[in-house]
Amino acid sequence: MITIDLNGQQQPLPPGSTVIDLLSIIGSDGKSVAVVINDHIIRPENRPSHLLQEGDRVELLIFAGGG
Amino acid sequence: MDLLQIGSYTFSSRLILGTGKFSNATVMLDAVRASGAQLVTVALRRFNREQAEDDLFGPLSAIEGITLMPNTSGASTAAEAVRAARIARELSGSPFIKVEIHPNPQHLMPDPIETYEACRILAQEGFLVMPYIAADPVLAKRLEEVGCASVMPLGSAIGSGQGLATSEMLNIIIRESGIPVIVDAGLRSPSEAAHAMEMGCEAVLVNSAVAAAGKPPVMAEAFAEAVAAGRKAFMAGLMQKSGSAVATSPLTSFLGTF
Repeated sequence: MITIDLNGQQQPLPPGSTVIDLLSIIGSDGKSVAVVINDHIIRPENRPSHLLQEGDRVELLIFAGGG
Repeated sequence: MDLLQIGSYTFSSRLILGTGKFSNATVMLDAVRASGAQLVTVALRRFNREQAEDDLFGPLSAIEGITLMPNTSGASTAAEAVRAARIARELSGSPFIKVEIHPNPQHLMPDPIETYEACRILAQEGFLVMPYIAADPVLAKRLEEVGCASVMPLGSAIGSGQGLATSEMLNIIIRESGIPVIVDAGLRSPSEAAHAMEMGCEAVLVNSAVAAAGKPPVMAEAFAEAVAAGRKAFMAGLMQKSGSAVATSPLTSFLGTF
């Protein structure tokens, strides 16, 4: 297993996991989620091929209520 | 038709609605629909699988005619705001960004220096930059010069309901501005929104006044009507004020004045 930092918390993942795999594990279809890995935005078309690495800092962001 | 123009976008509604502080998403969505708002603000938040219902992108996008205007709330520096704006654009597909940088949660006053710097960068990157600022005519002009699409001076402190406490400065900003002036923050009642529009604001942005009302959708509708009435009055041209009475009826050739 590898461990990534997901929104500030440790998240174990099988080696070879992609961004799509991660989204699936947390129960998101990814349509309304922005994915930022080590300060780089990962666009939807790159998510199936982007492999997560040990120690990656992953942020998943959504739109919530705000003024 | 009298349309609000921001960049190449046009809107028939001049009420911009914020989506924060509502008791739940259903009430918020009802209020958005009732307001007729076509520009709606949202905030970026970290995804939390226990609070999946917080995700507003889908429900808001499903309302016809809505353009999202993400804000940079939570940023306390220009760098943080620029980062948030880039992520938000990726998510929303909208070029609109409300630049909101307030480092002090006690008063939520916008930081003019960080705001200026963030706006300068984001305007160069092609965003339609809508900065939330203090009612400062000099800053407003400087932001216009760096390519902001509008300026959004506060009427009074965020969520305070103190109305148009800055109206004297707002008048100067409106007079001097070559870009739309939108009052953002502090409004409590529809009459204040109407007043802002009569002064020549191009739009108003309201959140707390609707979200914290007894019946948010009804209040949203009231604001929409007030904004439309205020705009109509501005376009009609208000009469000049006079320091003394000016009769509306003839004062001669009547009764004892033959």
